[in-house]
Amino acid sequence: MASATKPQSTASGVFFEGETARNTRGLLRIIILCTIAATAVASRLFSVIRFESIIHEFDPWFNFRATKYLVQNGFYDFWDWFDDRTWHPLGRVTGGTLYPGLMVTSGAIWHALRAISLPVDIRNICVLLAPGFSGLTAFASYLLTSELSDSPSAGLLAAIFMGIAPGYISRSVAGSYDNEAIAIFLLVFTFYLWIKAVKEGSVMWGAFAALFYGYMVSAWGGYVFITNLLPLHAFVLICMGRFSPRLYVSYTTWYALGTLASMQIPFVGFLPIRSSEHMSALGVFGLLQLVGFTDYIRQQLPSKQFQLLLRTLVLVIFVVAFGLLVLLTVSGTIAPWTGRFYSLWDTGYAKIHIPIIASVSEHQPTAWPAFFFDLNMLIWLFPAGVYMCFRSLKDEQVFVVIYAVLASYFAGVMVRLMLTLTPVVCIAAAMALSQILDTFLVAGEPAEPIEAPSTKTNDAKDKTVPGIPEVLRSTKGPLVGIYSYMSKAMITGAVTCYLLLFVMHCTWVTSNAYSSPSVVLASRLPDGSQHIIDDYREAYYWLRQNTKPDAKVMSWWDYGYQIGGMADRPTLVDNNTWNNTHIATVGKAMSSREEVSYPIMRQHEVDYVLVVFGGLLGYSGDDINKFLWMIRIAEGIWPDEVKERDFFTSRGEYRVDDEAPPAMKNSLMYKMSYYNFDKLFPAGQAQDRVRGSRLPAQGPELSTVEEAFTSENWIVRIYKVKDLDNLGRSHQDAGAFEKGNKKKKAGKRKGARVLRVD
Amino acid sequence: MRFTLLGLLLGFLGIVSALSATGSSLLVIIEEEADKSKYSQFWADLQGRGYEITYRSPKDTNLSLFLHGEPAYSHLLLLPPKSKGLGPNLTPNLLVDFINGGSNILLALSAEQAVPTAINSLLLELDINLPSDRTSLVVDHLAYDLTSSAEKHDVLLIPSAEPKKGVVDFFSVDGLVAFPRAVGQVLGNASPMLSSIVKAGASAYIYNPKEETEGVEDPFATGSQINIVSAFQARNSARFTVLGSSEALQDTWFDAKVRLPGTDYKAGKTSNKEFAQRLSEWAFKEIGVLRVEQVQHSLDEDTKDINPKIYRVKNDVRYSIEISEWDVDQWIPFNPPTGDAVQLEFSMLSPFHRLSLNSSPSTTNKDATAFSTTFRTPDQHGIFNFYVEYRRPFFTAIEDKQTVTVRHFAHDEFPRSYEISAAWPWISGIWVTIGGWLAFVAIWLYSKPTRDNKPASAKK
Amino acid sequence: MAPKKNAAAGANSQSTSSSTPATNTPVSNKPSSTSTASRNASTNPQDIATGIWENYVNNTPQRVKLIDTFMLFLVIVGGLQFLYCILAGNYPFNAFLSGFSATVGQFVLTASLRIQTNSANAADFKQLSHERAFADFVFGSMILHFFCVNFIN
Repeated sequence: MASATKPQSTASGVFFEGETARNTRGLLRIIILCTIAATAVASRLFSVIRFESIIHEFDPWFNFRATKYLVQNGFYDFWDWFDDRTWHPLGRVTGGTLYPGLMVTSGAIWHALRAISLPVDIRNICVLLAPGFSGLTAFASYLLTSELSDSPSAGLLAAIFMGIAPGYISRSVAGSYDNEAIAIFLLVFTFYLWIKAVKEGSVMWGAFAALFYGYMVSAWGGYVFITNLLPLHAFVLICMGRFSPRLYVSYTTWYALGTLASMQIPFVGFLPIRSSEHMSALGVFGLLQLVGFTDYIRQQLPSKQFQLLLRTLVLVIFVVAFGLLVLLTVSGTIAPWTGRFYSLWDTGYAKIHIPIIASVSEHQPTAWPAFFFDLNMLIWLFPAGVYMCFRSLKDEQVFVVIYAVLASYFAGVMVRLMLTLTPVVCIAAAMALSQILDTFLVAGEPAEPIEAPSTKTNDAKDKTVPGIPEVLRSTKGPLVGIYSYMSKAMITGAVTCYLLLFVMHCTWVTSNAYSSPSVVLASRLPDGSQHIIDDYREAYYWLRQNTKPDAKVMSWWDYGYQIGGMADRPTLVDNNTWNNTHIATVGKAMSSREEVSYPIMRQHEVDYVLVVFGGLLGYSGDDINKFLWMIRIAEGIWPDEVKERDFFTSRGEYRVDDEAPPAMKNSLMYKMSYYNFDKLFPAGQAQDRVRGSRLPAQGPELSTVEEAFTSENWIVRIYKVKDLDNLGRSHQDAGAFEKGNKKKKAGKRKGARVLRVD
Repeated sequence: MRFTLLGLLLGFLGIVSALSATGSSLLVIIEEEADKSKYSQFWADLQGRGYEITYRSPKDTNLSLFLHGEPAYSHLLLLPPKSKGLGPNLTPNLLVDFINGGSNILLALSAEQAVPTAINSLLLELDINLPSDRTSLVVDHLAYDLTSSAEKHDVLLIPSAEPKKGVVDFFSVDGLVAFPRAVGQVLGNASPMLSSIVKAGASAYIYNPKEETEGVEDPFATGSQINIVSAFQARNSARFTVLGSSEALQDTWFDAKVRLPGTDYKAGKTSNKEFAQRLSEWAFKEIGVLRVEQVQHSLDEDTKDINPKIYRVKNDVRYSIEISEWDVDQWIPFNPPTGDAVQLEFSMLSPFHRLSLNSSPSTTNKDATAFSTTFRTPDQHGIFNFYVEYRRPFFTAIEDKQTVTVRHFAHDEFPRSYEISAAWPWISGIWVTIGGWLAFVAIWLYSKPTRDNKPASAKK
Repeated sequence: MAPKKNAAAGANSQSTSSSTPATNTPVSNKPSSTSTASRNASTNPQDIATGIWENYVNNTPQRVKLIDTFMLFLVIVGGLQFLYCILAGNYPFNAFLSGFSATVGQFVLTASLRIQTNSANAADFKQLSHERAFADFVFGSMILHFFCVNFIN
């Protein structure tokens, strides 16, 4: 009985009820949770301290720009926003093609702060939103874990793990103003509400789960994970014969309301009905109706045949529904699986079919050290926690197991999905660790950094479930003798060491790996002081101050959001890669000869071309290294005009030096990158420090574009596209004439003379 | 385009007396002072039209086409030099810069002197080819002047060509124009900027008198491929006119009596004077200069909001452009030649609409014609241009681009569901559901007392 | 398969055993009698059907009947809409969706209410009073109606 009431009391946030002892514990709990939240926030501020309060990376720049638009123009204008400064000249129906949750959240915070006369710059809200929400995430994982585990310390451990796990910090440092910043909180909280709903079979919790699911849908495309995980949970429960009215109530409530809620988001629209990713939820919904109905009849009519009937019915319905789904998908009524989805199952799929998805670094498969790097000791506590779930396999533990399995797989496929794995790892690890602590510290005076278990374990005897600790005590107690202070001290010491190591690791990773804004690069001078390389902003501000406000800038899509955000100039393509053809057009312009590129640039009214070149500084993330992706994407659309093979030497090498193939040397990208580069060096000594190769003695020559700006370290180079020649000549001819080369006299022509007709 | 127009306007305001739309300063490059008098009638005519003529020798070291980086003269008349070259102040590059600066050049050639290589390579840049041996001239054994070149057949008498459909006719004169010892030009195929003013007759060919051989094998060009006078307009509308025969401008030919071989044509006076006037009017932009006065676009139903930045898909849009033409001394309403029309493109990457604009007398005011049309924006959002590009032979180019955004339907611009009759069943479905629910709740609450019995009994 | 079956059987037996003491004795007499009857004639589907029907009529409290009426009403409304959609096409798709899902959503919510207030399931809903269930139901329904009306525009 106690176990049933306890979660509710914690869940409803009621820490202040009950006797004095409980009061003290509750107060301590709150203080600890607040400290954890503060820690979570504080550890994410490294980036602000190290660098400055600035928006990071690429996508956040768009979110920031959208938020500014929202704040300036109000919600309805934001909703109808047609952005004519991106994807020139197509424009982007931005209001209908983004997940507005993030911007609306920070807009609401901004308005709320203004309402209490605290005018804060919207930039600061955007920068600090992710850390703020990470504190809430820690709290949500506390609630979720408390629902899952009977141990009082598990929730607090999960909270602190969640607060400082690098896997989550990687996407939520200050300045990383991305959808994930709030989405992870919503993910965890929706799971908490779902567990709550399943446990209690309450419409209210189900409705709340649906509302938060709706919020999640509005915030992040990763909501599909929830959309599939919850039905899977329900389905597994049914298959295990664990169907209960509670499940029916919670699932149907969640689905009916959640689906409607998700359809309110313009970007999602009819997808929940149309696309295959959402079909499992619909199928399970239908299945539950049938199961519920048969279950109802069985109650009226208990007979053994009914078991059989139920089973066959479930199986038949499943097969029929699946067949129908396949049929509808084939016939095109339901949108087929999207490419991103395929790449989840077949890691090689994207590389072959949709290079644009494969080209995104965060869509790459995860390297195995990344797991340890991001999760440290949690990664080996994780299986133990999942094992614990099997020991008392209730509905909610089933959920953890499913979540763990799915998330592990997905995290292995895509680096980015490490983010969805982190919560379950934290929860499972916390459950495992708290199990150990509870078992060993039941009656001890713990000398352990995290106070929670100690305060809680004192009353564990009378209060906690007799289940696991008792089992362990009865089995292991006599053999090992864990009552002795020796063993207690050893275990406590070991755990303390691990925890301290974990904290150290997290701090180190956070401060060194995840706090770089990537807009500003840092390097160490020989004397150890930090040197800031600020070429990006230098170039973007040059654009902002020296070009017409509507000068179109062509660059590879990586820099689209930054140009839009920092330089405030229209771009051709950006990180919202919705139009593959348009991106391929840019790729073709970059990878073709000037004569081919120029008409493309004219057609798209390009005024400036921006390339990123790291050859001088040894900055490896430059456009020449991304060049193969441009070629591949362009080849996907124009297989006859751009061929990847032409850009390799006969021995299949990718080279930029003397032996580079003609297609490479003549491509616009190559020319723009190395234009005038040889003049920096003594003749014939030009050296590319990224690719470590010596460049041809004769530098490339440009005729259709002219150099407009090169940043201090040559990282960003901007070229101006020349206007058509006044006399109607080609730019090559005009250039040759300028240099004084006499045009070849037409003289004697070969073959029949072409006569002019006019 | 804007700047050109502004330049035109400023130039016009600055020198009111000038007849040219661009300016009145004319530089004449003439090598020998003595030769000046040969053209006295032509100079008088030009001065009478308001030009301030500066005469310079190509050898003059102070000669400079530019002042502070800008062209120092509005117009340049190059008469054939005696010496081989044009000197360091008139290199092809400088001349090209002069054109790029917006000034006009009238180049007169003569087969009497060898064409300088500088001129040759300059013309090559414009895609105009001259005979490779630089002393060739055009002869026509059927259309020569019996009076002056009965032997050599090198004074061509050419009547004005029949006006072509859709092309403005600025140059036709009555009677014959004499072109003595003309250098024939062959125009390249590729360039749309070139146009021919006077062509040689069908029986003409290019012949080098210095060559000793009898008869001509493989002539450089024949028939109407030979141009005696040709015109080039750069993208900035600077005009470059090539006159094959400088002698045609001389006094002797202004009032010479000529006679065609054959019987039916009597000897008559040449029309050279008139032609020279027409040619210089055109070459120095006294005629055929177009200007965009005003561009207006708006929603068709709401004409108050002029030139909005943004439209919606499927809007009815009205567009109008006022164009005027400079005619010697005033701006007059421009009317395209018959068979031609000003066209509007509504384009994003490629044109979605290409419409001929209509001019109506009612909208035409004193000095400009308003061309207008209405159309519906396509069902495609994006950044579109109202694009009028009017490039025709002998008219300066008009290129006007108004960029607007065409947005999608806003969320509240779709028809509300109750406006769609097909949606009524489902609307009623919702409200029936809600009504049923309300009734259910009401009955439930009402039946509460009776309900209490059963849980009580159940708890037994 | 075997453990699964066992688990299922275990769950069932638990639920039935817990439900019998909870249900009303006079009521539970009748199902047992009908169930024995139906067990005998379980091969004949018609008998099963009549058995279910009789069981229902005799055995259901007044308010559950009220719920059932409402559910039947919803099924009819929903069915009509679906039929209309098949016959006349789904032109304003959002209207169809919101109309249809309003009935479906209302149906499942009502079914939830029915389950929650059904004393047979009391074991599953220990902390859920009937008033609370009804309040939850109203809360859920109002969210549903708001979304539907909003979505139909």
